[in-house]
Amino acid sequence: MSQNRLARSSTPGVSALQKTISKKFLLPFYIIVSFLFLFSEKSDFKAIRFLKALINDGITYSVYAVNTPIKLISDLGRSARQYFNFNIVLENKKLKDQIEQLYAEKRELQFFKNENDNLKRVLGIKNKDDYVSIYAKIIHEDTNEFAKNLILSIGSNEGIQLGQAIVLNNVYLGKISEVNLFSSKAMVVTDLNSRVPVVIPSRGVNAILKGNGLAGSQLLFLPQNAVLENNDQIYTSGSDGVIKEGLYIGKIVADNKKDIKKKKYSVDLGFKEHQLNYVSVLKVKK
Amino acid sequence: MSSTLEKIKFYSAHIIFVLICINDSIFINTWIAPGPIINIKYILVFYFSFFDKGRFSITFLFLIGLIFDSLQGMPFGMTSICFILLSILAAYLKQRRTQINFQNEFIAFAISLFVTQIVSIIILNYFLPIPFEYLLLAINIIVSLVFYPVIRTLLKVFYHY
Repeated sequence: MSQNRLARSSTPGVSALQKTISKKFLLPFYIIVSFLFLFSEKSDFKAIRFLKALINDGITYSVYAVNTPIKLISDLGRSARQYFNFNIVLENKKLKDQIEQLYAEKRELQFFKNENDNLKRVLGIKNKDDYVSIYAKIIHEDTNEFAKNLILSIGSNEGIQLGQAIVLNNVYLGKISEVNLFSSKAMVVTDLNSRVPVVIPSRGVNAILKGNGLAGSQLLFLPQNAVLENNDQIYTSGSDGVIKEGLYIGKIVADNKKDIKKKKYSVDLGFKEHQLNYVSVLKVKK
Repeated sequence: MSSTLEKIKFYSAHIIFVLICINDSIFINTWIAPGPIINIKYILVFYFSFFDKGRFSITFLFLIGLIFDSLQGMPFGMTSICFILLSILAAYLKQRRTQINFQNEFIAFAISLFVTQIVSIIILNYFLPIPFEYLLLAINIIVSLVFYPVIRTLLKVFYHY
């Protein structure tokens, strides 16, 4: 009986028919499943969210495994180029000088910090929330025409929550936009949907920094008569109550228009997007 | 031996497609065009559906779509629908043409891409409560159309359709 069935299924005409039937069923099946997934975006069921977080984690770590050899090969090329870079001695000397200068600035900053703390104590001003930083590895970065995402190796298991800022050497990179169990997604400041309240302390001006996709970032909602200069520094204002204030973002780059009202300001960000391996997530200390 | 080579050649398209989908930024943004991104994924789906209908199965397109959505933070299932729709449109438009030349192929690509992008806009507008940059999408479509002949020629050299 089973042999008979086998013989029947191996007949070319019948197997082709079986394939056609299965294809006919597969198409509507996948479209229905896709729509179910889409409608689940709007649902708030805990089970669905948990299932999606699991799928996201699975996909993230599989992609990481697939990408590791590719990254190794591309890193190998970079290392080789660095090895054959004969200006490295000069560069080393220059960097040592810079480090000395930075140490001097750090000592000066420490003095101002102490002075600031003393003055706050005298005036009775309470310190704002303390933050702890959690180290995270970037396991994947993705750019398309609308979004710029970093996928991080930590998730709700480490207490990561939506909206927390991610930084690199105290430079603001973006914020957490999605949290899974063992991974999370961060929206970079250049993402089209990114809006960050910022302050330009040298001018006493507040504004909103909008991501412009591949074109960088742009300042919006500036006061009407605000005049900014090239190289004015931008920091997070913390006025949204989520992102820590005083995180460095970048420098102003003004266009050449003379009319102040028509002038547009973009930002030279303080980090290089393609050289990111590790970041820190800032979490409020409880 | 030759069958192994044929198998490698057959699955090479799948491997290229998967790598491009999961490494959108590395392959496209920095290597080819620093400005608006060319939609190589859609070009590949169209090309292989137009010339070799059975190469990318619906299951494969569905799964890769899900992976892409998960990585890009798009609504889950959107890219799967777009890939499947593009594949069906390409196969259908080829069936309708009696004569296959570059002009017909290009028009079919333009129609398929346009319809797919409209569907993606509808889905994004309904499921993602964030503003949408139509100008970038228009640039993306135009750049994809401009680069289609180049990428198609490169693919033709290797796959001989």
